[in-house]
Amino acid sequence: MTAAPLATDGAPALSVQAVTKRFPGVLANDHVDFEAAAGEVHALLGENGAGKTTLSHIVTGLYQADEGRILLYGEPVAFSSPREAIDAGVCMVHQHFRLVDRFTVAENLVLGDRRGAGRKFRIDPDAVDDQVRELGERYRLPVDPHAHVWQLSVGEKQRVEILNTLYQDARVLILDEPTAVLTPNEADTLFVTLRQIAAEGRTVVFISHKLHEVKAVSDRVTVLRAGHTVATVETAAATPQSLAALMVGREIEVVRRPKHVVEGKEGLLRVDDLWADSDRGTPAVKGVSLRIAAGEILAVAGVAGNGQRELAEAIAGLRPRSKGDVLVEGRPLRNGDARAAYEAGVGFVPEDRLGTGVSPTLSIAMNLELRSFRRTSLGPFLRLRRMHEQAEEAIRTYDIKAPNPEAAADSLSGGNLQKVVIAREFSGTLRVLVVASPTRGLDVGAVETVHAHLLEAADRGTAVLLISEDLDEILALNDRIMVMYEGALSEVPEGESIENIGLRMAGETPAAVASA
Amino acid sequence: MNNSLLVVLIASGVAYGTPLLYAALGELLAERSGVLNLGVEGMMLGGAVMGFWAVERVHAGTAITLAAALGIAALVGALLASIHAFLVITLRASQIVCGLTLTIFAGAVGLSSYLGNGLNLADIPARKTFNPVFPGGMQRLPVVGPIVFGQNILVYLSWLCVIAIWLYLSRTRPGLNVRAVGESPAAADTMGINVTAYRYAHTLAGGAFAGIAGATITLALTPQWVNGITGGAGWIAIALVIFSFWRPELCLVGAYFFGALQALAPQLQARNISLGPTVLWTNALPYVMTILVLVVVSSGTARRRLGAPAALGNPYVREEH
Amino acid sequence: MHVAVERRLRQPRWLAVVVPLGSIAFAFFVAALVLLATGIDPLSTYRQLFDAGFIQSGSLDQTLITTTPLAFMGLAAAAAFRVKLYNIGAEGQMYMGAIFGSAAGLYLGGRGGAAPLPIAAMVVAGCAGGCVWALIPGVLKAFFRTNEILTSLLLNYVAGLILTYLIFESESYWRETKGFNATVFPTGKPLPPSSVWPGWTLHAQGGVTVPLGAFLAVLAGVVVWGLHKRTRFGFESQVLGDSERAARYAGVRIRRKILAVMALSGAVAGLGGASQVGDFAHALDGDPNGLQKIGYGYTGIVVAALARYNPFATLLIAFLIGGLQNAGSTLQGPSFPAGLVGVLQGIILFSALGGEILVRYRFRISRRSKGEAASAAEPAS
Repeated sequence: MTAAPLATDGAPALSVQAVTKRFPGVLANDHVDFEAAAGEVHALLGENGAGKTTLSHIVTGLYQADEGRILLYGEPVAFSSPREAIDAGVCMVHQHFRLVDRFTVAENLVLGDRRGAGRKFRIDPDAVDDQVRELGERYRLPVDPHAHVWQLSVGEKQRVEILNTLYQDARVLILDEPTAVLTPNEADTLFVTLRQIAAEGRTVVFISHKLHEVKAVSDRVTVLRAGHTVATVETAAATPQSLAALMVGREIEVVRRPKHVVEGKEGLLRVDDLWADSDRGTPAVKGVSLRIAAGEILAVAGVAGNGQRELAEAIAGLRPRSKGDVLVEGRPLRNGDARAAYEAGVGFVPEDRLGTGVSPTLSIAMNLELRSFRRTSLGPFLRLRRMHEQAEEAIRTYDIKAPNPEAAADSLSGGNLQKVVIAREFSGTLRVLVVASPTRGLDVGAVETVHAHLLEAADRGTAVLLISEDLDEILALNDRIMVMYEGALSEVPEGESIENIGLRMAGETPAAVASA
Repeated sequence: MNNSLLVVLIASGVAYGTPLLYAALGELLAERSGVLNLGVEGMMLGGAVMGFWAVERVHAGTAITLAAALGIAALVGALLASIHAFLVITLRASQIVCGLTLTIFAGAVGLSSYLGNGLNLADIPARKTFNPVFPGGMQRLPVVGPIVFGQNILVYLSWLCVIAIWLYLSRTRPGLNVRAVGESPAAADTMGINVTAYRYAHTLAGGAFAGIAGATITLALTPQWVNGITGGAGWIAIALVIFSFWRPELCLVGAYFFGALQALAPQLQARNISLGPTVLWTNALPYVMTILVLVVVSSGTARRRLGAPAALGNPYVREEH
Repeated sequence: MHVAVERRLRQPRWLAVVVPLGSIAFAFFVAALVLLATGIDPLSTYRQLFDAGFIQSGSLDQTLITTTPLAFMGLAAAAAFRVKLYNIGAEGQMYMGAIFGSAAGLYLGGRGGAAPLPIAAMVVAGCAGGCVWALIPGVLKAFFRTNEILTSLLLNYVAGLILTYLIFESESYWRETKGFNATVFPTGKPLPPSSVWPGWTLHAQGGVTVPLGAFLAVLAGVVVWGLHKRTRFGFESQVLGDSERAARYAGVRIRRKILAVMALSGAVAGLGGASQVGDFAHALDGDPNGLQKIGYGYTGIVVAALARYNPFATLLIAFLIGGLQNAGSTLQGPSFPAGLVGVLQGIILFSALGGEILVRYRFRISRRSKGEAASAAEPAS
């Protein structure tokens, strides 16, 4: 362990020693060592599956470690519940928010409050107003205490979570992948807030798998790989390449799609003035038009919640269009008919892997036939043996790690689940492929596989619509980029900088750039 | 004037609606904590038969006997609910099947029938009943007389319960906690709220209320024990919780509405008024109305803003999140 | 010392059989305690039950009378519950099947039609009656998203009122108006002989008469199983029951599926109603203290749940529970109170429900646990 300890006057704020945690089938944390000092922003870096979230859950009391110990300011602690951790000053800002949607912001704060307004038997709706406003101003986290959480944007919800920890007077804050739901500019504001929190003497632990963020905000970085600690380094002394090498354990090649000329202006996939509503009944997609030629990858960037999901579902036929047309090879698709879209050659990899792309408790064999079972059946009857054989072959071809084809789909890991979806969607007579957040939550190996399959599909002449929140992925795979903001698409000129793309993602149009 | 159809309907509506109200309030508490208990009919029958039994067996002054009967009915309801709670909260069984089983187990072909016959409770009038509280003079006041002052103490207690539960849910800390448990047990757990304890407590409370509802029928409404005397009231109570958008004050309104529907048929018959082609129509009306109301309430945007507690029906396990 | 509850990765087959059997054994144990508490000897009670249900001469005949409707009700529940459509309305669908079936039998039988025609018509009419009644909650769920539990259940009460009305409160086609008895107590018109369903005598156990309904129930079981496991319909229903979003993704026409499953479930229940008329009562039973008091529809749900919604297991368990209920009513008397059977059934199902957890989860008592070889699952990190 290459340690470069910060000069401290006393014990480090948080010290994790040889912590081990096992789940059925996997060793999530393997004798992990980790140390964070007071007043620092310490990043916990690792790819998906490295054990970062598990470790944070142990530190904040959600899980109990099987072995090892944890020290807070030099004193050993063992939290058997999140409440004990919060009472000791260790708070977490979760990746999937732990807020009660139907409550107001104020009610959420009172819910966790053991000291102030929350201690009384009778609750007063206005009790926490002043504190919310004051904290909001101090830390740049403005939010209306009487707003209901379900009305807030994702960024605002995160602010509430952070506010909650400050309201509880947290000494150690742990944030799990906080920028996943923010535009680049919102992320910058968050970093300023985090630095301010650390400057007060609190400790901030920042979990991420994004190298440039770790470089931007942290003082030190601890790298986890496959459940154990690889190294702890000073951020200033590290480069993205050195961090990446530590993270993955080998050289990773940065994939960039070679530019190639795309012919055919008509477009294999054509979308004209598409409008579609969200689940709440409000318009989510507002007049989107696009054309994708055979073999072209159109990458759509944007922060989650701007209508991407609805756009993908509308094109694939899972969501009815309120207006507009979708044409494949010049032939219009029937509105809201997923079956017709599939039969016209539109493959769809949804962002909701386990609930939509895969039917959780059904077998892998059945899931592999989820869209095509009508073709392989004999009249109304299924051909079970044929399904089983085809499943075995798909498992071999795509290297899916499963005990047998009859195992339930929800016993697979995220990467293997995605392989099932790909095995199903990428084969057959595919003309168009709609792919939404295909590599979210996957480890680097799985990400490489998925990208390879995507590029291969494009090379075979498929028109690919890639929707992703991961800018790195967008930049690596695109032939063209567009940005989606509040239901509308805007073109991104060739060679646009990341900062400007970030601006577009937040709805701003960058001023004309003077120099390249 | 006090004998006009409208006044009598409303007064009877209050009387008939009171067991519905108690049962609905209990189920509302359970559902607010995220537990669906379809065993209300069974718990009501349990409370009905044992409340009746208590009145036969306890030999004391009227008030004490009746209070004891209520206590026993509540206890029986809570005990039955505890079976459901254990299976559903601790053992994570299917809430729907479990609730149905509870109804079969305790219902008209099960435990309540077993006890009713075994303890020889059939075909005898109750020794003590709940009677109107206010003096006759006040009962004869125009309109408000029969409706407000002509009721027994269980009715007035139910009003207190509605207010108490309303205050509890909206203005107290434990009420906030239970709402969090029903909406997002993960968030509640993180904040240190004991999800399991809250769910157990509210499910048992739901059972106690259902037991009292049953006793209301055998000791106030039709003061005797007949096998299956609730006649589906438990199911209407469950529908009532949905109809009232899980709010106690709307439960009150709904309970009296359905109570009035139940009182409609005998009243019309007594006055020789025919509401539809046959007596079948008026008998079926409460059930058909309930279905119609459910349809209206379940569709549309009302459901999204005012709908069920988000975690209703799902077991909560900490490690799996 | 720490007891961990973990989700199993794989559910071993043997567990799916051992746990229900174990639950039943546990239930009998608990019931024995209940009996002891009320001063009854459990062992002799159990022996009496078994005897009266299966062994005594004539008992199998009686048992089949209960088993047949339970099998239909159980299959109806299993067909729907399996795909998470909670059709509680089998009871009412049975009544409607009885009404439609007896109408067909009365009408066609009297005309001296060719022998199997009235019976075949009763079968079809019974299915149609149950089907139509089940489509009401089906339509409300498919088009208005109304919870089918409450709607199907409330319709049970409405169907009961209709049944009572036809015989007790009106001079309907179904009501017997001739003869002295008719003026004393309302009864349904008896079926003409050509509409009465046949039975076949097996020469075993001293001669058992197996009614037509029992054969039809087995046939229905095969059909329900075949549809579920071997057809596109079954595939789509399974996906729908598993995840509605995945079903939409798979191109399942969701509304049509909901209607189809409810129609199937209702048809089976309605056939059970026609069997009640054709096999056993030979007339429409509108007595509120008759068919409506027994609660076959609700017991059928218990049967289906115990069978974990497998059609063949449903048939078997219907037979066992039928024996239990038959024994219960035969033995009814001072030493065998009414309602005991319901209590027993409840305890059995509670035990089975509780035992479920052993199938889906595993208990682990650990201080130090050995790491396991990485197999399928990984938690998100």
